[in-house]
Amino acid sequence: MISIKIKTGFIDLIESLSLWRLWTLFGWIEIRQRYARSKLGPFWLTLSMGIMVGSLSVIYATLFLQDLTTYLPMVAIGIVTWTLFSTIIGEGCIIYISSSNYIKQIKTPRLIFILQVIWKNLVIFLHNFLIIILVLAYSGVREPLWYLLFIPGLFLLVINAGWIAALTGIFSARFRDFPQIVNAFLQVSFYITPILFESKMLGKFYWIAKYNPLAHILSLVRDPLLGINPDLISWVVAFSMASVGWLFVLFFLGKYHKQIPYWV
Amino acid sequence: MKSEIYLDKVSLQLPIYGISSQSFKNRLMSFNSGNLSNDIDGVVVIQALKNISFSLESGDSLGLIGINGSGKSTLLRVLAGIYAPNSGVISVTGKTVPLLDIGLGLDEQLTGRQNIRLRGLLIGMSDQEIRRKTSDIVKFAELENYIDLPLRTYSTGMRVRLTFAISTAIDADIILLDEVLGVGDAAFQEKAKSRLKDLHARAQIIVHAIHDERTILESCNKVLWMEHGKVKNFGATDLVMREYRAALGL
Repeated sequence: MISIKIKTGFIDLIESLSLWRLWTLFGWIEIRQRYARSKLGPFWLTLSMGIMVGSLSVIYATLFLQDLTTYLPMVAIGIVTWTLFSTIIGEGCIIYISSSNYIKQIKTPRLIFILQVIWKNLVIFLHNFLIIILVLAYSGVREPLWYLLFIPGLFLLVINAGWIAALTGIFSARFRDFPQIVNAFLQVSFYITPILFESKMLGKFYWIAKYNPLAHILSLVRDPLLGINPDLISWVVAFSMASVGWLFVLFFLGKYHKQIPYWV
Repeated sequence: MKSEIYLDKVSLQLPIYGISSQSFKNRLMSFNSGNLSNDIDGVVVIQALKNISFSLESGDSLGLIGINGSGKSTLLRVLAGIYAPNSGVISVTGKTVPLLDIGLGLDEQLTGRQNIRLRGLLIGMSDQEIRRKTSDIVKFAELENYIDLPLRTYSTGMRVRLTFAISTAIDADIILLDEVLGVGDAAFQEKAKSRLKDLHARAQIIVHAIHDERTILESCNKVLWMEHGKVKNFGATDLVMREYRAALGL
């Protein structure tokens, strides 16, 4: 029984991936809709993100008595990456509800909507990457050898965000309170995950970072860009979360595949 | 490959979520003649389709008739594979394209040409197919001078022509239509009619939920008359239509 459900979910995933023309187009349209006829376009997001990163860094570097040249890149990369992760989940969990028109009028695989959210946020992330480049130019480059590791790190981060979005999306379609829970969870996660602080600054509360899987996932993108080789354990955590998570989501999707059009 | 539609005792219950208030529920129940019932979870359930059985083969063009709320749109969604029935057997052979809401997915900011691609992808065309058909779509919609302008600059008539032109450009074995056709001015309506005939000719099976009697008599060889989610009558067009008219007192 379980394998049949997973197979249904897996077929959905394959069909969704093969419709890449559709979900990339949808993703672009969503970005363009928001910034149609504005001169800066999506770079408006980059600009506001840059201002936020800059002001947060200055304030917290002062509060925490940190050196700005090391604190700024840590916060900049952390926030840009966290935004990618949390927005995929935040938008993904309501995507079935907001796509109900499509789900009810044409026969589509379900995961194209999740892929659309992932794609859209990756495009925005690429725009925001400008901030990271500027910050690294300001603070100087250390150990450039590790830099390329951020690519597999980013990949793991995105597919982890993807399964969480797909799972919470199904729940949210059925239970309309669920997006609120997801958002509350994301907000708390932002504060307990080492983004504005380093895990070693936690002192005796170091375990908060140590046992926080999101901290591990995030460090796979941030550490390489800071010129640090991420811990092996972080790779293990991110990889196992991604594989177990996706297996579970495919099962869950297979189980409720037929119900989703009724729910949205 | 020959296309085929086969339904045997297909039933469908639509759960209605978000109705928690008992009084509202009661109000709903008094509206419709016994179509609502409660299931175990306390979720209100509508018996949308009940024991639907019929079959169509290649060459058939079916008109779906019945008053609003009799289950025509739900049946189209079942045929499209959007809703899975709760019980019964359904088998649909052939590439099926539902044209239930032909304006679905159009984007105001995109140009007419980009909207052709968007809408084309949405109803399952490939990029080559879209490229091949674009000039024909533009010509038919009479938008040669406007196709590279954003949709928001279009008049209502231009939009209707464009959506109609895209949707009817599809090649499919089975086409499901839901009352699409209030199309533009008189001159365009004539064109639209012949284009629909063309679409009918290319497809093997057409299922068309429709009110206009003349269109049914002209284009359908079979009619399915629905009432309260059940098949009231199914058969050759003139036969069913005669009974339908009699029942309506015409």
